Amino acid sequence: MFQKDEALDLIFFKIAIVLYLVASVSYLVFLVFSSGKQSTWGYWFALAGFAAHSLSILHRAIFSGFFPLATAFDALSLFSWIIVALFLAITHKEPSPIFGSIATPMAVVLMVFASTLSYQIREPLVPILKSWWLLIHVVLALMGNGVFALLAISGLMYLLQERLIKTKQIGRIHKLLPSLETLDVINRHGLPVGFCLLTLGIISGALWAGSAWGFYWSWDPKETWSLITWFAYAAMVHQRLALGWRGRRAAVFSIIGFTLVLFTFVGVSALIGGHHAFQGARRFMGTGGL
Amino acid sequence: MISEILVIGLNHVTAPVEIREKITFPGDEHGQVARSLLDVDGIQEAVVVSTCNRAEVIAAVDDSETAAERLVEFIGVVHELNPESLRKFLYVKQGEEAVRHVFRVASSLDSMVLGEPQVLGQVKEGYSRAANANATGSILNRLMHRAFFTAKRVRTETGIGLAAVSVAYVAVELAKKILGNLREKSVIIIGAGEMAELAARHLAGQVEKSVLVFNRTYENACALARDLRGRAAPMDSLEEGLVDADVVITSTGSCEPLINTDQVRKVMRLRRFKPIFLIDIAIPRDVEPEVNNIDGVYLYNIDDLQAVVRENLGERSHEARKAQDIVDEEAEKFMKWTKSLHSTPTIIALKDKLETIRTAELTRLNGRLSSLSPAERETVELITRSIVNKIAHDPISFLKKTGMTSRQNTYLDTVQRLFNLNGLPNDRLRPEEEPREE
Repeated sequence: MFQKDEALDLIFFKIAIVLYLVASVSYLVFLVFSSGKQSTWGYWFALAGFAAHSLSILHRAIFSGFFPLATAFDALSLFSWIIVALFLAITHKEPSPIFGSIATPMAVVLMVFASTLSYQIREPLVPILKSWWLLIHVVLALMGNGVFALLAISGLMYLLQERLIKTKQIGRIHKLLPSLETLDVINRHGLPVGFCLLTLGIISGALWAGSAWGFYWSWDPKETWSLITWFAYAAMVHQRLALGWRGRRAAVFSIIGFTLVLFTFVGVSALIGGHHAFQGARRFMGTGGL
Repeated sequence: MISEILVIGLNHVTAPVEIREKITFPGDEHGQVARSLLDVDGIQEAVVVSTCNRAEVIAAVDDSETAAERLVEFIGVVHELNPESLRKFLYVKQGEEAVRHVFRVASSLDSMVLGEPQVLGQVKEGYSRAANANATGSILNRLMHRAFFTAKRVRTETGIGLAAVSVAYVAVELAKKILGNLREKSVIIIGAGEMAELAARHLAGQVEKSVLVFNRTYENACALARDLRGRAAPMDSLEEGLVDADVVITSTGSCEPLINTDQVRKVMRLRRFKPIFLIDIAIPRDVEPEVNNIDGVYLYNIDDLQAVVRENLGERSHEARKAQDIVDEEAEKFMKWTKSLHSTPTIIALKDKLETIRTAELTRLNGRLSSLSPAERETVELITRSIVNKIAHDPISFLKKTGMTSRQNTYLDTVQRLFNLNGLPNDRLRPEEEPREE
């Protein structure tokens, strides 16, 4: 009974991977042949995959009795879930298949990678991991990272699209990419959202640390780098809102910002270490902490 | 009487806008100018065509050399200008070259923007004004109808027509890729011109705000604004206009760039770096090319847009060549027809035709006439020949008699049609192409 239940969330997880993969292939076919039908298929497969993925996370939460955050597997699963959710939300507003062409393969790669990691939740769960603050901290931080990833992708697309328009190379790639305005709107709306999530993520993390260890801030490398990232994004929000920066400058900034995020998210744990490591960290040092 | 086709005029290649603006043949609303051209010695028929980018007189004349001189004088008088100052801007084309020119103009191969569709309508208007004022005769009626026919062939048989529409289309698509949804955006036009209007019309269909029109001549701005259901604005408020605009179409004849880099930098600060799309259709350019290097400014000139279209259409030079072949073919047909418009070949053809009918009928009835004696047969031969000659006598002597009047072309043409003189290259016009006779 126990084994069977555990297997069920993995089955959903694998179904999600397969559906995302089919969606990726549909988008790839679309990119090569510019056929609108495939991009619609891609969207529906991604949506179905998202449903299976949600069931997997939900089942795992019910099974473990708490929101599943204990392993690197769970972190990656949740992160890819957030990416797909963002993509579905954007596609709803701006039916530009290019986002799907990036988001679905990304989810596939992250999830295939996650399935090589240990997904066993050790019983009993360490008490400090069974905290609402932790849940809020992780979810907010991952959502913030997801938003920043989206901003960086939009930023890259913006730079490419602008280059193509300025140099008058109006070809297939130009047509596939969304309009500069759309990409800038994503930045304009996404930046404050990402920044708020990052801020709340850091605050909730401090609160959790306070409840778990009794001190709020310990200058753990991850905390330090998070703070650096926070200042970078704070500067960006300021430039954007107060000085009216937009377009190319905002795009460049979003890419720099996400480089910091990546370093904080992956690099710090792998290179420096600290108390943001996971149970599974011995097998995979990196994906780890937040 | 011999007629030659003569075209004299100016266009965007030969004359700057200051001159083009002056040469508009005022007062031709009902073809009066075309009609008054007939009073000029040696001019038999005339059509006046006038658009933003061209003004020309198409005439059937006795002698090209002297008629050209008189036409230059006439254009000077009509516009109260010294003919000598005009001469260097004018092109004079005669004979087959003139025919080809008229066909090229009607087919939009001579336009500033290849294949733009409005010129055909403008040529048609010019012709119908002249025809209503009785300024055209059989030669120009036929020439103009052949021109319309050629334009139709070029439009249906080549991709030329797509090209111009595509320029406007490409401009709109680019605007969307830069500015996103265009509904809330504002468009301004500086100057006027076929292509600027076309692009503006396409854009106006996408935006909700009314288009703002700038022009050195406020009246012209008003006219175009009315056309586009927009507003006119004086030129000195251009900078404020640029601060508020999202799409700018420029098409003035100014020799100096109208919009320079420093000005755009200043404007961009004022508009808080909101992106702006500049479409420069003018030659020489209205916007300094370096403006494209400014952050948030996207500058496309007409060549850039046409390059995009060319990429979209694939081999377009091929289409242009095909169009030119059609023009050459039609011009050649027309020249054959004009050469036939002499009394001698017409009379010969008429005689031949009647003789062919007579012999054919005799051969057909050979069986029934077999009982006749050779003498009786000889009589039948004589009678039929004499009937045919009697029928032919009056028309032939009429054609010979009218040889020195300007109406002769009409009569020759009429005789050719009445008797369906196939021996001549008088290829049948399709019913819808049938020239309108006075």
